[in-house]
Amino acid sequence: MTEFFQSTFLGYGFGWFLATLLLILFIALPLMLAVAMIIYADRKIWAAMALRRGPNVVGPLGLLQSFADGLKVFLQETIVPSAANRGLFVIAPIITFTVALIVWAVIPFGAGMVLADINVGLLYILAASSLGVYGVILAGWASNSKYPFYSAIRAAAQMVSYEVSIGFILISVVLWSGTFNMSGIVEGQRGQIFGVINAYGFNPLLFPMAVMFLISALAETARAPFDLTEAESELVAGYQTEYSSMSFALYWLGEYANVILMCGLNAILFWGGYLPPFEWAPLYMVPGIFWFFGKLLFFFFVFSWIKATVPRYRYDQLMRLGWKIFLPISLFWVFLVSGYLMLTRYSA
Amino acid sequence: MIGIQHYLVVSAILFVMGVLGIFANRKNVIIILMAIELILLAVNLNLVAFSAYLGDLVGQVFAMFVLTVAAGEAAIGLAILVIYFRGRGTIATDDINRMKG
Amino acid sequence: MIQALAFYLFAALVIGSGLLTITARNPVHSVLWLILAFFNAAGLMLLVGAEFIAMLLVIVYVGAVAVLFLFVVMMLDIDFAELRAGFARYALFGLAIAIVLVSEMIIAAGAWSAGSLELAQRIAPTPNDMPNIQAVGGLLYTRYLYLFEAAGFVLLVAMIGAIVLTHRARSGVRPQNISEQVKRRPQDAVRNINQPSGQGVEL
Repeated sequence: MTEFFQSTFLGYGFGWFLATLLLILFIALPLMLAVAMIIYADRKIWAAMALRRGPNVVGPLGLLQSFADGLKVFLQETIVPSAANRGLFVIAPIITFTVALIVWAVIPFGAGMVLADINVGLLYILAASSLGVYGVILAGWASNSKYPFYSAIRAAAQMVSYEVSIGFILISVVLWSGTFNMSGIVEGQRGQIFGVINAYGFNPLLFPMAVMFLISALAETARAPFDLTEAESELVAGYQTEYSSMSFALYWLGEYANVILMCGLNAILFWGGYLPPFEWAPLYMVPGIFWFFGKLLFFFFVFSWIKATVPRYRYDQLMRLGWKIFLPISLFWVFLVSGYLMLTRYSA
Repeated sequence: MIGIQHYLVVSAILFVMGVLGIFANRKNVIIILMAIELILLAVNLNLVAFSAYLGDLVGQVFAMFVLTVAAGEAAIGLAILVIYFRGRGTIATDDINRMKG
Repeated sequence: MIQALAFYLFAALVIGSGLLTITARNPVHSVLWLILAFFNAAGLMLLVGAEFIAMLLVIVYVGAVAVLFLFVVMMLDIDFAELRAGFARYALFGLAIAIVLVSEMIIAAGAWSAGSLELAQRIAPTPNDMPNIQAVGGLLYTRYLYLFEAAGFVLLVAMIGAIVLTHRARSGVRPQNISEQVKRRPQDAVRNINQPSGQGVEL
């Protein structure tokens, strides 16, 4: 596509610019649609596990429920509390939303289907996700209200804590694959186990990391059982308490885009991304993007499943899990993986 | 390709801005710490620009060490600030003249 | 063309946000401008191909150091208006020094560029056939291994120092001891007795 635009009258530079702009829209707009549908899926799964019906009024099977909610929110008035820090109050949800979108630039949807195939893709994801804290902490501070601030402090501490162990988990994956490039990590999983199974997750050395990454992803996105930033009864509605209309919707979209991203990262880092699960020629008839989204949706189902079944952690338990259990284990695992690789792959 | 001159000018201005920040916010330790971070950032920018321009990687390695020291400095500086505030209830630099006890 | 545009965008933003960092009235805004400055500096570094150090800058500074600043500024109850007194007076003096300093530096840079470059004296020429991050890693873990370890020690000392300085042993709290809870068995906690009627319970 980039080459096509560059071959037209636009020339090299602007052809690239326009093509990239179109590709960004090509990723971002379906992503928004996916967020709307995944919220519906989340509610449906949750309802089914609680033996309820879930949304079933708007549209066939309630499929249009998210759009109705969105429309309602769009038509609301944006309220800025008089004591709030106006500029930051408005900018905070924009930060959350933007950060949730920019990460998708390096996600490989299929072989070669990636917007920016950069060498430091995984570092880029770490960098962008570390920005996510600001949307939250600024919302809490700018609201100039007690509960949002508590919630923002909680959320920031939680995100920063779990980012540390996520970093170490990613390092063990990077050590194994030998690259920070996302497509490279996916390709490295080809025939990982006995030359047939395409996944790091089945590697006995990396399986514990896969489990820890799943749990850390729940904590990083503040999903149940780690949704202490909201914890309905305790902190009203968390850092979004003072938000209404579009700015509220931006949090909503950003949050779920992050959840989808974390599911996608699970699929890419440990379960083969766009590769079919087995090295078997007929499986390659299915385009890679279907495998990727299939895995992503499976992990989203797991997220919803956990939300429906696991009771919420207490805050000190969450911190203990992050700092006293995950951090030492993941640190030790980096030693283990690098030691194993030194003895086998790099022993010569 | 942007010439190195451009980078040098940008980092020189940034460096001087850090120095100016220390002078202008003479009483506020937090802003002074931030100004120091700005200075270190300018230094890093300079190191990386030279590294890229000369094709010598050592500049980038050194920039990483500067980053390390800056992170440590910020952590210790803010920790001192917090205990100082706990003891005195202020962070004005003029009051930091009683070092013993 | 696009590279030049990106350079001027990043350069203007880094200088503008640097200026706003030191002049902002509210220290929280200062921290945020500082973050923007870091972000754009990382962009400038990306433009010259130093992708590893640029990402590191964002992860370390924006992800960790600036959060620290933000926490401290938000949590301490400080009258910042009082600290700002005399800003204009000091700023004027500072501005004089700043102008001298920046003109000196620019002159120095101009003089330097007039001289000749000794490219033969490079210690670690950038390899063309590998990604930047791999090249930096190769250099860091071989030639600069001891320095790298020393940097690790600097961080360790900073970490321990920060904890020692700010840690408060609080009295009157009852923390949860999980291993003790798990170790507890029914025979330690529950007692079956056959209580005769009409007599008080002995606890």
